Amino acid sequence: MANQKTVDPNAVKEKLAKLEPRLLALQKELSNTSDKKKQNKLIKQIEYTQGKIKQAKTGERLSRQAKRDLVAYSFIAPNFIGFCVFTLVPIIFAFVLAFAQWDGNNAMKFVALDNFIQAFQNDRFLASLKNTIVYCIATVPLTLICSLGLAIILNQKVKGRNFFRTVSFFPYVASLVAVAAVWNMLFSPQKSGPVNMILYNLGVAAKSLPKWSADKDWVMFTVVLFSVWKNMGYYMVIYLAGLQGINGELYEACSLDGANTWQKFLYITWPQLQPTTFFVTIMLTINCFKVYDIVYMLAGGSNGVLNKSAIVLVYHIYEEAFRNWNLGYASAVAMVLFLMVLAVTLIQFRGEKKYAN
Amino acid sequence: MKVQSKSYKFWRVVLYLVLIALAVLMLIPFAWMLSASLKLDKDVFIFPIQWIPANPRWQNYVDIWTKIPLSKFVLNTSKLTIIVTFLQLLTSSFAAYAFAKLDFKYKNLLFMAYISTIAMPWQVYMVPQFIMMRGMGMNDSHMAIICLQAFSAFGVFMMRQFYQGIPDELCEAARIDGMSEYKIYSKIMLPLSKPALSTLTIFTFVATWNDFLGPMIYLKTESKKTLQIGLRMFISQYSSEYGLIMAASVLSLIPVLIVFLALQKYFVEGIAATGVKG
Amino acid sequence: MMKKRLLGLTLACSMTAVALAGCGGSGGGTETTEPATSESTAANAGESTTSAAPVEAADGDTVLKWAVWDVSSTVYYQPLIEAFEAANPGVKIEMVDLGSADYQTVLATELTGSGSDFDIATIKDVPGYTTLVNKGVLEALDDYIAKDSVDLSQYGGITDQVTVDGKLYELPFRSDFWVMFYNKDVFDNAGVDYPTNDMTFEAYDALARSVTNTTPGEEVYGAHYHTWRSAVQLFGILDGKNSIVDGNYEFLKPYYEMILAQQEDGVCQDYATLKTSSLHYSGAFAQGNVAMMNMGSWFIPTLIEKIKTGEYGEEVANWGLVKYPHAEGVEPGSTLATITCLSIPTSAPHKDLAWEFVKFVCGPEGAQVVAETGTIPAITTDAVVAAISGMEGFPDDEASAEALKTANTYLEMPVHEKSSEIETVLNEGHDNIMTEGSTIDEGIEEMNEGVAAVLGQ
Repeated sequence: MANQKTVDPNAVKEKLAKLEPRLLALQKELSNTSDKKKQNKLIKQIEYTQGKIKQAKTGERLSRQAKRDLVAYSFIAPNFIGFCVFTLVPIIFAFVLAFAQWDGNNAMKFVALDNFIQAFQNDRFLASLKNTIVYCIATVPLTLICSLGLAIILNQKVKGRNFFRTVSFFPYVASLVAVAAVWNMLFSPQKSGPVNMILYNLGVAAKSLPKWSADKDWVMFTVVLFSVWKNMGYYMVIYLAGLQGINGELYEACSLDGANTWQKFLYITWPQLQPTTFFVTIMLTINCFKVYDIVYMLAGGSNGVLNKSAIVLVYHIYEEAFRNWNLGYASAVAMVLFLMVLAVTLIQFRGEKKYAN
Repeated sequence: MKVQSKSYKFWRVVLYLVLIALAVLMLIPFAWMLSASLKLDKDVFIFPIQWIPANPRWQNYVDIWTKIPLSKFVLNTSKLTIIVTFLQLLTSSFAAYAFAKLDFKYKNLLFMAYISTIAMPWQVYMVPQFIMMRGMGMNDSHMAIICLQAFSAFGVFMMRQFYQGIPDELCEAARIDGMSEYKIYSKIMLPLSKPALSTLTIFTFVATWNDFLGPMIYLKTESKKTLQIGLRMFISQYSSEYGLIMAASVLSLIPVLIVFLALQKYFVEGIAATGVKG
Repeated sequence: MMKKRLLGLTLACSMTAVALAGCGGSGGGTETTEPATSESTAANAGESTTSAAPVEAADGDTVLKWAVWDVSSTVYYQPLIEAFEAANPGVKIEMVDLGSADYQTVLATELTGSGSDFDIATIKDVPGYTTLVNKGVLEALDDYIAKDSVDLSQYGGITDQVTVDGKLYELPFRSDFWVMFYNKDVFDNAGVDYPTNDMTFEAYDALARSVTNTTPGEEVYGAHYHTWRSAVQLFGILDGKNSIVDGNYEFLKPYYEMILAQQEDGVCQDYATLKTSSLHYSGAFAQGNVAMMNMGSWFIPTLIEKIKTGEYGEEVANWGLVKYPHAEGVEPGSTLATITCLSIPTSAPHKDLAWEFVKFVCGPEGAQVVAETGTIPAITTDAVVAAISGMEGFPDDEASAEALKTANTYLEMPVHEKSSEIETVLNEGHDNIMTEGSTIDEGIEEMNEGVAAVLGQ
């Protein structure tokens, strides 16, 4: 090994004299405490000290931990460096922008929290905040349930399984113009539109039939249904991949115990899918907070301007950044979005850790 | 026993009915695309829809190749998509292994940095990013699109979640056998993560193939433009050619579906390997 | 072994990327925070040419980069360039197509900072113009105009409407205005006389109703309004007494009343259905069951072309044009205009040559070239009107040619610091009224309050 050097016995002794009593003290403390958290902390410290002792004995320049870190960093580096340069740096710049006034060209002006204050006084911001939250609360659980259900069904022995799987992926990959056109056709505001026809036959008066995406009271509802339908297939694919990771023996053992389908789902499938669900929930939440194009396609009309009844945060960011070139303000709104997503993610991370323990 | 099998049959029938209904619902957009691709622009959005055009216009499928340099665009898009997907798979699975199976300093911090950037809408940092990339001389180059797409946080996050599902004991055992981490990654993790890798391939492929705004802002020279920009060329200021757009969209779906069908095999293979039965 | 080599390669690649980022990143930083001085502009433009197409062509010609959209479907770019290059040897024009749908976004992004090497930028609309002027990326043209004594009166007052703080940053070369298209066959079938160049709104409304047929399966619509706000709202500003940016919209009430009543009675198609079905106005008119449609003159070449190629059938082959209807006591021929202009970015590497090009395209010679392609140039002389109405496929009645002569033209959106914010508010009000989500009074109240809030900021 290149980093091995001649060991000076005196120096080693000196180091050991310091380290060994510390190790003993820590071990003693460990046996005395019953608090789980503290125990874990102590174990970590003990491991660290043991590592140091070993390092002192063998005389390696890098501790085992440091080496392990290096190996890990080498794994991350190719992706992380690219990510840092092309994504993280501009994002950090955007963070700074949130506290400034900038049109992309003239000198930047530091304005402290003005952008945020302005945002919370802006009708369009408040409307978009409300719409985005409503949209998320409705869409995330619905999509989760639908895609998991679909994945479980299509993971079974069903005739034409490949066909059904491919078909469910269709709305996700098909052209957005086409999917939006079809959806707006199904939910046509006319009495002769398919959905309105059903409602009419169920006894809803012709005058009070909803105008769906052209109706300020129904537009978000239409958007939620549309988004579930369009994205279901995408998350189904993730769940399908997750389902392959479950060990089949678990099900066999369960069958021997006489468990029914529901119990199998509850005690095996659901817990085993936890990492996948965690991933799906976070991605779903983030994607819902970032929703923009489908609302725009569905409710934007010919001039592509979203009204307060349908405006979402990213659209508001877009209009402020590129129509009005208030880059600072747009960054501030993005920061609000970011903080909300971060909060949700952190809560879910907590949940995942708890579950893992 | 008899009663049970009867109810089993009943549920089977219900299941198929539901599946067929869903399939129809999912296929309508495709049917719409096909039907629109055979129409003149003036008839595309007429209500009520004429599903089977009276005079199918097959000429649309010829016109798309001559009205814009479509073959060049397809070539560009394929090149970008393949490079981006390859880089994305390689670097994210690599990084994800470290996040899932190794213990190191600042792991949680770095990981949070990754995830939190996913939350940032691209529109926010698009302008600083553009100025930076232009400073690096990447304006109007394919390199810009590759750099933008290849190192996404999404891939790392997704692969990490799948690796976490693989028992730690496997790695521990290999470490005790003296395998290096690189070997564990290539000999154990990679082969086990075929379903996840194929999922990521599909997603990256679809995302890059369909990406519009990135190429729109960075690519200016006609010979460098991509398929999605090409589709927009049929929409001009005062008129649009939705018949042609849909014809080209139908064609552009084909590679995506081929990739999906080809990789779907790995989901099935996963089932065979673990022996899960319905 | 393979894998290891691959890893090394990847690492090496990413290292290079970092090194590149190191210099590029810091360069970008200073570039963006400093207000661009002309020296740094020139230096930056020089740098960026290493990546873009070389600006000096091999044979010593100077190449000007011109930002445009729809190169393949716009007929006048190439003739303009050829005419200019013939008159100015040693200068070549290179078009860069930024696409039509997101043109203003892409152009504004491109001109951000000072690394752009565009010499000439086409300006698509007034809000986009205002944005670029506010950003300070356009060169004021007043000195050039004074130097070459360009006569601004030939633009019929339009240039006054786009002057910002006493300075003019663009010159128009194309001007479109709104006219009334009608389908002669529909009127013949109903046995009703054609519309005329002198119609009041009452006469127009009565005429539309007289040709309407609401029988299911054989509907004929007397009028058609595209979902744009301009198609309905801007009837209100034609009397010259009101402006769309002054914050009080009571004057819109009679026009909304007329059109909502038409919608209710099936005289025009339902707004909500049009909005959700994304039906383009050309598609609606081409069905042959629309009697009259108000639309911009840009639709003339499209209509002629599509009838010629046979895409639009017999149902619309017999069309005509008349002037916009007018309010009682107002001179007929008052209409709305949309202009397409040329500007010079402050970062342009060859400003003087760029000005030569702008002067040529926006001047009388350019106007002649534009008119010969069937497009209406910003300078409209009798010769231009004759050139357009003499085109093959243009309706051959007197009234249609007469309809091309305008009296007063008002910009669809005047130059205003907050024009895009006002636009958003007015759009929302229009949408709410037309979908009947709000009553007319509520809608107008929303617009008054919304615009007041925007102006108060």
